[in-house]
Amino acid sequence: MGVIRAEPARVTDWAAKSVGAAWRAFDLQLATFAGLLAAVGLVMAYTNSVEAGSSPLEAGTTFTRGLMWAGIAVLAFIVATSFDYRWLKTLSWPVYGLQLGLLVLTLLIGDGVGGSARWVTFGPFTFQFSELAKILMIIVLAQYLASRQAKLDSLRAILGACVLVGPPLILVMLQPDLGTSLVFGAILAGMLWMSGASLLWLGALGAGVVALIPIAWNYILLDYQKQRLTSFLDPATDISGAGYQLHQSQIAVGAGGLFGRGLTNGTQAQGDFLPVQTTDFVFSVLAEELGFVGGLVLFSLFALLLWRVLVAGWRSRDPFGTLFAAGIASMILFQLVVNVGMVMGIMPITGIPLPFVTHGGASLVSLAIGLGILQSINIRQRRAEW
Amino acid sequence: MNTYLDRSTVPDRRFSRFIVFGLVVVLAVGALTARLFYLQIANGTEYAAISTRQRTVLEPIAAPRGLIYDRNGRLLVDNVPTFAVKIRPADLPNTQRDAVVARLGALLATDPSEIHGAIDGNLGSAFDLVRVAQDVDQATAQLISEAGFELPGVEVVVEARRRYTDGALMSHLLGYTGPVSAEQLPKLRDQGYQPDDLLGKVGLEAQYETELRGTYGSESVARDATGRRTQVLQTVEHAVPGASLTLTIDTKAQKDAEKALKWAMKKIGMTRGVVIAMNPQTGEILAMVSLPTYDNNEFARGISTADYAKLLTDKDKPLLNHAIQAHYAPGSTYKLVAGTGALDDREITPTTRVMTRPYLTLGDTKFYEWNRRGWGACDIYCGFGHSSDTFFYQLAGMLGIDRLGYWANQYGFGEPTGVDLPSEVSGIVPTNEWKQAALGAEVFPGETYQAGIGQGYDAVTPLQLINAYAALANGGTLYQPQIVRDIVGPDGAISRPFEPEVIHEMDVRSNVLRVMRNAARETVTLRHTYNLVDLPIKIAGKSGTAEFGTPDSRGRLPYSSFFVGFTPKDPFKGSFDKTDSELVVMAFAHDSRTVGNAATEIVKYFFQLHYGIEKDYRLPALLERGNFYQND
Repeated sequence: MGVIRAEPARVTDWAAKSVGAAWRAFDLQLATFAGLLAAVGLVMAYTNSVEAGSSPLEAGTTFTRGLMWAGIAVLAFIVATSFDYRWLKTLSWPVYGLQLGLLVLTLLIGDGVGGSARWVTFGPFTFQFSELAKILMIIVLAQYLASRQAKLDSLRAILGACVLVGPPLILVMLQPDLGTSLVFGAILAGMLWMSGASLLWLGALGAGVVALIPIAWNYILLDYQKQRLTSFLDPATDISGAGYQLHQSQIAVGAGGLFGRGLTNGTQAQGDFLPVQTTDFVFSVLAEELGFVGGLVLFSLFALLLWRVLVAGWRSRDPFGTLFAAGIASMILFQLVVNVGMVMGIMPITGIPLPFVTHGGASLVSLAIGLGILQSINIRQRRAEW
Repeated sequence: MNTYLDRSTVPDRRFSRFIVFGLVVVLAVGALTARLFYLQIANGTEYAAISTRQRTVLEPIAAPRGLIYDRNGRLLVDNVPTFAVKIRPADLPNTQRDAVVARLGALLATDPSEIHGAIDGNLGSAFDLVRVAQDVDQATAQLISEAGFELPGVEVVVEARRRYTDGALMSHLLGYTGPVSAEQLPKLRDQGYQPDDLLGKVGLEAQYETELRGTYGSESVARDATGRRTQVLQTVEHAVPGASLTLTIDTKAQKDAEKALKWAMKKIGMTRGVVIAMNPQTGEILAMVSLPTYDNNEFARGISTADYAKLLTDKDKPLLNHAIQAHYAPGSTYKLVAGTGALDDREITPTTRVMTRPYLTLGDTKFYEWNRRGWGACDIYCGFGHSSDTFFYQLAGMLGIDRLGYWANQYGFGEPTGVDLPSEVSGIVPTNEWKQAALGAEVFPGETYQAGIGQGYDAVTPLQLINAYAALANGGTLYQPQIVRDIVGPDGAISRPFEPEVIHEMDVRSNVLRVMRNAARETVTLRHTYNLVDLPIKIAGKSGTAEFGTPDSRGRLPYSSFFVGFTPKDPFKGSFDKTDSELVVMAFAHDSRTVGNAATEIVKYFFQLHYGIEKDYRLPALLERGNFYQND
């Protein structure tokens, strides 16, 4: 790296391929599962809008805004699919610069709840750049690790990856957004794993992270963050504060039963017992209204999507593609487990959105861009030689 | 090694990493599924129950409080809907409390500190409503409702309040309702009372609380996380309205009594008095007025702390029903006891003459006749009629203090009458036993003399006094006075009809009481009571003057006056030989230093009003401030 190389990505490559060949390599299943998950998100936006007492098609409701962002996400997906991903390898340093720039911008002009700086406002819209930054991080890391295939048994390359992740992670921590910075960590871990880095060094790295926990606990984490992190262990100790959300969301999930109360009939949500029901706790509304069956469908869609992402990574004979898929899969899996685990009371409260389902334009558009790049990787592989 | 991702060289490592990653995915999704199963399938029923429990709540439905009518069916109290402003402390964030209370104070035109006080004095939990203002006018209620968003936790509630038709006229009888107090709440909660409930505090409202309150119903109500009602799901139990009361009180008699008492009080400049009228055949109270009084509507509307403090500290105790909640020396009216006792114990016969003198001497103490002269040898008619002190000193001496006490008990003194009003006091009947217990000494002979003429330790309530004369008038049955005639159920049927309650039949010969009735008539015919005999109706009775308090610079004590009188059933032609009287009236004029007996003038005026006697026999000159001991 260091010099921008235009060589691997020849424009003619793409032009030379027929659209038909590209379409055959396009993973329709991946697009379908992602689309269905986004549809679940829209359904939840609808039910939340109805329960908030508004007509769902009115301008400005969660549902209409969700529809708008879904449209933008589809466009972003198409553009990302069409774009030759190999340019990203060439442009990885500018991408890294863009990532840092967006995060600094957020810190400078961002808004948030209670003095935090999480999103940037453009007219009537707000956008959370840290969501996009996750995808950009995956691009940068994929290129970095792919170009160091030969040195991955050395500590140097592993530490280099950590150093790359460091600045954006710190910038996100400063917002402060503990949840997203943990996602950065998860992406790093997943990609290092899939890069084939030495188990010895990975183990040493893991031990180092564990050793850092007490330091982080004492000097970095804010009191409210600690409280949220531990309240899931015993919600009853803090029933009116952080534990209240957990308590109520567990009641909501549990009350759903096998088939749920039916869409828009969630009494926990209607009665405002559930806090932040359109965002971090959206799964509790889903579980109350659609029940165990609805939850299983959601989990299945995620599992199928992850399968298709991993398949894309496996098929890619370009290490960049494999690592990019690993990053996307790590991100989605981590967010799924932490968010749904939090709602069900087995994970701490971290404020991580549920991919596709949590209402939020930046998250959905960023996922669409990530999956679009993955499709771009899919359709730009030469036929397998084996 | 260096091209690990190229599966042609080291496929096994690439493969194993994918397999492990895939396993992590499977395990993670499996763990989430297991947890979902645990919550929704294994424990779903339990969580559903918790969810139902926290969003539905059983709320009471207030039962309409029973109404109260006078004996002629005149409505004395009803319920009117009013706006109350309440706060649910849980919904009022502490950071906004000062601002909200200040704003509310301005809207309600009350001192914010009173609102703070109400919130801090909250008896229930933070989720229970606290009443901060009641009887708010509609415009203000509307303003507060509309400002809802700026006044978190504040609710405007429609509730019923009591409206007392005649206000002050009946306050001492009806009483009023007020908020549940901190001491009452724990016990009342079990009976279904709410922390912001109203209940009868004094008077009939308190005495008949159980009947008037009715039975609260309940409804299950859906609520949101803040506890606000979102919808009524179903009525679980309908409220049963409270029973209504029909009183023995006759509003006209009550008004006449108040008019007569007020006239004399204004004339004299007197500040405290009582008038009672009752039917001696049944114990029914027709009128009971105690002045000064207060307006119970002020309490129903929510009296301010300042106004309440003023009532509490007034020296004439307007909150006290002086007819039953205070006792006074009865003076000469108490001579009925010694007279009856001496006759029935055969210490004297109706014809026995006892020498009356300017004074009697006991040791070196002189016991004066009230007119310092006496009337020579007197029989019971002469002694009672002139109210001779020396006559009754001697009768008391013949009986002794314990026998005197026995006869006082026969007339109902020394025990509460049991009238259906709260907080009645029992008065004092001195006996040797009583004095030993109360003062650790025995009764001296001089004290027996004093006890015989209603002075010294003797203390009676005005109601005990009239009830004793009622027993005289009806021939010896001591009835329990009653204020409530019938209790009428919510269906309109009488659930408890009136029944005279007998305390006891006096153990006395009937001719003794006949003699005493005629002796009481003698009081009137001897013109001891001035022109009372001139009225076209026949009245028998007894006046009394009782000293109290501390002597002035010339050694004279202030005094109060009493009069108790009754008429035969036919007030124009009847006879006191009979026991058919249907009306006894008593007046008590506290601290009435007048030329004549103020109480007699009050009773006379009442009789005039009651019987519609057009000629005015009142003698205002007798109500001039002046001569002590001129009249007794």
